[in-house]
Amino acid sequence: MKEKVKEVKMKRRWGMAIDLDKCTGCGKCSVACNQENNMPIFEDDSDVPKRVAFLELMKVTNDRDAKFPDVKTAYLPKMCQMCEGNDPKNPNPPCVSVCPAVATDVGDDGVVSQIWSRCIGCRYCQTACPYEARVFNWWKPEYEGSFKKSLSTDVSVASRGTVVKCTFCSHIWKRERDAATAKGILDINAVLYTPACAGTCPTGAIVFGDLNDHDSEVYKLTQTDRAVRLTNPVDDVKDADKKKSLLKAKQFTNPKVYYLTSQQWLRDMMRFKKNS
Amino acid sequence: MKKIERKDFLKLGGGAVLGGLSGWVFSGAPFLGFQWLAEWTQDQYVPVKGFEKYAQAVSDSCPAGCKVSVRMIGDRAVKIESKDGVCPACHNALQLTYHPERISTPLKRKGDKGDGKFVPVTWEEAVKEISSKMNSLITEGKANSIAAINKNESLNGQLMEKFIKAAGSNNVYYEPSLKSLTSSALGGYINYDFANTDYVLSFGAKLVEGWDSSADMQKVFTQWKTKGTKIVQADTVCSMTASLASEWVPVKPGTEAVLAFGIANYLITGRRLNSTGEEFGKWSQLIINKFPLAKVASYTGVSEERIKKIGDDFSKAKNPVAVSGKGACGVNASSAEIIAVYCLNTLVKSKAATLMTNSSVTYKGEFAGLDSFIKDGKFSMLFLNNSDPVYKSVLGEDLKKKMEKAFVVSINPIMNDSANYADIILPSLSFLESETPENKAVVSNFKESKDAKDIIIALSKSLDKTKDTFSFASGIDSFKVAGKETASGAKFSFNVDKIKNDIDALDKKFAANAEYPLFMIPVEAPLVGDGDGLAFPYVLKSIDPTVFYKGKLLVQINRETGKKYGLSENESIVIRSARGKLDKVYVHLTDTVAPDTVAMPLGFGHESYTKYGSDKGVNPKKIMAADVDPLTGTADWWSTRVKIS
Ligand code: SF4
Ligand code: SF4
Ligand code: SF4
Repeated sequence: MKEKVKEVKMKRRWGMAIDLDKCTGCGKCSVACNQENNMPIFEDDSDVPKRVAFLELMKVTNDRDAKFPDVKTAYLPKMCQMCEGNDPKNPNPPCVSVCPAVATDVGDDGVVSQIWSRCIGCRYCQTACPYEARVFNWWKPEYEGSFKKSLSTDVSVASRGTVVKCTFCSHIWKRERDAATAKGILDINAVLYTPACAGTCPTGAIVFGDLNDHDSEVYKLTQTDRAVRLTNPVDDVKDADKKKSLLKAKQFTNPKVYYLTSQQWLRDMMRFKKNS
Repeated sequence: MKKIERKDFLKLGGGAVLGGLSGWVFSGAPFLGFQWLAEWTQDQYVPVKGFEKYAQAVSDSCPAGCKVSVRMIGDRAVKIESKDGVCPACHNALQLTYHPERISTPLKRKGDKGDGKFVPVTWEEAVKEISSKMNSLITEGKANSIAAINKNESLNGQLMEKFIKAAGSNNVYYEPSLKSLTSSALGGYINYDFANTDYVLSFGAKLVEGWDSSADMQKVFTQWKTKGTKIVQADTVCSMTASLASEWVPVKPGTEAVLAFGIANYLITGRRLNSTGEEFGKWSQLIINKFPLAKVASYTGVSEERIKKIGDDFSKAKNPVAVSGKGACGVNASSAEIIAVYCLNTLVKSKAATLMTNSSVTYKGEFAGLDSFIKDGKFSMLFLNNSDPVYKSVLGEDLKKKMEKAFVVSINPIMNDSANYADIILPSLSFLESETPENKAVVSNFKESKDAKDIIIALSKSLDKTKDTFSFASGIDSFKVAGKETASGAKFSFNVDKIKNDIDALDKKFAANAEYPLFMIPVEAPLVGDGDGLAFPYVLKSIDPTVFYKGKLLVQINRETGKKYGLSENESIVIRSARGKLDKVYVHLTDTVAPDTVAMPLGFGHESYTKYGSDKGVNPKKIMAADVDPLTGTADWWSTRVKIS
C-alpha cells in the first residue's frame, strides 16, 4: 500500500466504548439511531435480508460451546467500527480505499464518512468491510404516508442503489458546532457531541468521546483490561516488538469502537476464538 | 529558444484536455452528475425544512410518566430524547403519532363484528349513540351490565373508573399488570426500595427487560452495578436478567412458586424465622408438610444445598428483598406465588418492600379480575380504554364471543384486535399530542382525534346520571384529582383458604404427563414486549433473526430435547395444548433454554394491529393455560403443558 507523505492533522479522534456488562439489550439505541438517521420504513422491517439499519442489535450466546445451564446471553449493539488502520495519523480503513467515487472517506475527526448521494452502488466497500457494517439499498427507501413527518432534515434520504452506514451521527457534531457558532464560540472544534445511540442508552453503556483526549472517559475505558475490539487479531499480541513488526507487515482494521466485558466467553467470541 | 511547433502545440492542447478530463473525473464532479441523475430519476423525498427547537413532554399514557425532550423541525416532531431513559412505549410514540393508520374520526361498525368495516361518524353522533345506549341500560336497572377494561392506571384509566362507577356499575377492570396482580394478592402493590437494597432475589421477574417501569429499572440496574448489589435470578431461560445477575438459579418451567415455598420452609424450620402475616401458622404448616426440601428440589431442579444457601444468603443480607411477578412486559404470577415470595420479605423483615394503594384505583370489580370477568361475567355494554384484551388475555376468544352480543366502545389511536369487535371507535391521542399542566402539547391533534380524558369527561357529561361526576369540563383539570399513592396499611394475610386449592393442584401440575410431556413458557424480544411494539416499523427493525425471520416465528428448544424429538433447526412444528394447537411455528435449537421446555415469544400473531403488526407469527395466548386464580382473577398462563409434532 502506498504511504501518504503528509500526516493528517487530526482535530478529533472520535471513538466509542460499549460496556456489555451494562447493556441490557433494551434496544433503545436501535430505535434512536433509526429515528435520528431517517431509516427507511418498509412494509415489513422484520424481513432481515431486506432490512436497512445502521445499528444491529445482535443477540449472542455461547450455547454452541456450553450446555444448559452453563450458558450466557448478551446483546451486542454493532455499528460501523470506524476502522483506522495501523496508523491513526494516516487512517486507512478497508472500505475507503476501494471506493471509486470518493463517497466514503476519513475526516479529520477520524470518522469514516459516507455520502450516499455520491455512492454509485458498486458495493466494493460493502465487500471490503469485515464487520458487515454497511447496508445496500436494494429498494428505494420508503416512508409510508404520514411517517414522512417524522423525518429529520439533518440526514438526507438515500436513493435506491446506494450503500449507507453509521456515520457516528457526524451531523450532530455539525449541528452542535453550528449552535456554538451562533452563540459566538469561535473554537468550534472544541465542541463535543453525543451520537443518538449513546445519548439514549438508559444504562450509560455507550460512552462516546475523543480518543486523543487522554482525560476523556472513553479513552480511559479503552485502556482497561475489559476492553476488546471485534476481531482485530493484533490486539492479542502482547509482545511489543512482535506487535510492531506485525503492524509493519500487515494492515489491521483497528476499530475505534471498543467493547468492554468481563466475560471471557464474550471476549473469545468477539475474537472468533472457540471457548476453551 | 526552441520554437513551438504545431505538433507540440497540439500535444500540449491534447494534454490539457486530457488533464482537464481526468481532473474533472477525479474531482468527483461526474459523480455529482450521477447523484443528480439518481435523485432526479427516483424523485426521492426531501424532508420539509423548518426551524429547529426542543419541546418538553410528559407521558400521560402510562403511570410511569416518562419525561422526554422532543426535537422539532417546524411543527414536526422528529426525535424523542431523554436523559432519564424512557420506556419503549414512549420511544415508539413518534411512530404512533405519525402512524399512517391512525384513526382520524369516530367510527361506527358497518359489517359484522370482526370484519373490520367501519364508517366515519361525527363526534356528536357517536356520543349520542353511546349515551342513549347507556341511558336505557341505566333506566332498565341494568347499570351493572356496563363494564370497562382499562389498559392501565394512567389518569384516563382513573377517570374511566370514576365514570363507570358513577353510572352505577362495579365492573371496571384493568389489563393484568404487576400492580394489579400484587394488589389483589396482597392487599396493596409493592413499592420496592431498590436503591437501598443489597440483595435482590427475583423469582422470574425479568428486571431489566421491561418489567414494571422499565425506564426506572434500567437506572436501578446501573446503580446495582456500581454498588455491587447482589442479584439472584431464578429463571427457566438464560434471559438477559439471568445473564447479568450475580447468580442465576435455573429452575424447571413454572416452578418459581415451589422454589419460594422451599426457601420459606428452610427459613422457618432451619433458621426459625417468623412472619407477622395473618394465618402464618396455618400457611407454614401447609408448606412445611407439603413441600419438604427434597420435593422442592425435585420439582424445581435446584438442589437442597443450593436452596439452603440461597436462604442463608438472603436472610443474612443487610437489606434483602424478594421479588415476584414472572416476565418482562407481560407479567404473570399466581397469588400463591406472590404470597410466598412476599412471605420471604416478611420473614427477613425486609425494609425494601412496602404495600401501597392508589386512592383512585380498585382492581376488583364484581369479579376478582379481568379474566374471571371474561369467563363468568355478563355485560351488555363494554368500554375498552386503550386496552386490547382480545389479544392479551388467554380468554380473548371467549371475550370476542361475548363482545359480539354487546355494545362495545373502544377508545384508541390505532386499530387493535379488540377494537375490531367494537361498535363505536373513538380516536384518542399519542402523548405527544396531549397537554399536561407542565407542558403544552408538542404537536397538534391528529385530525379529529381527542384526548382520552376529554372523551371520558364528555361521555359522562352526556348522561343525566353521571353529569356531575367531574367538576371540570376539560381533561387538563383532571390532573388535580389524580389518585394519590399511599402506604396501603392493609394487614398482609396468607389467605390460606383461598389459595389452598391452587397449592394442592401443584402436585398434579408437575406430575409426569405422558400426553403433554413439555412445558411452554413465554419469552419476550426487546421492544416487542408482550405485543404493543409490533405496530411500529422501528421496532420491527430491531427483531433478532433467531426470534422472527422472514415471516417465521421461532420457538426456542433445548438441543438435547430437540434431539429427543428429532427436531432440526428451522423445522416447522405444531404445538398442542389441551386448549388447542398452534401451527406455523419453527424451531430454533439453543441451550439457553431448559430441557423439555418450549420458549415461546410473546407479542406476535396480532389479527388487526395495523398492517405492520398484523399477521406476523402466532399468538400463543390462544392455547396457554387458562385456570383463573381466585384472588387475582387472572389466568395463570405462565407455564402450559404441551406436546409438539
Ligand atoms: S440502549 Fe444501551 S442498554 Fe439498551 S441495548 Fe443499547 S447499549 Fe444496550
Ligand atoms: S466497520 Fe466497515 S464500514 Fe466501518 S470503517 Fe470499518 S470497514 Fe469501513
Ligand atoms: S453513532 Fe449514530 S449512526 Fe452510528 S449507530 Fe449510533 S446512532 Fe446510529
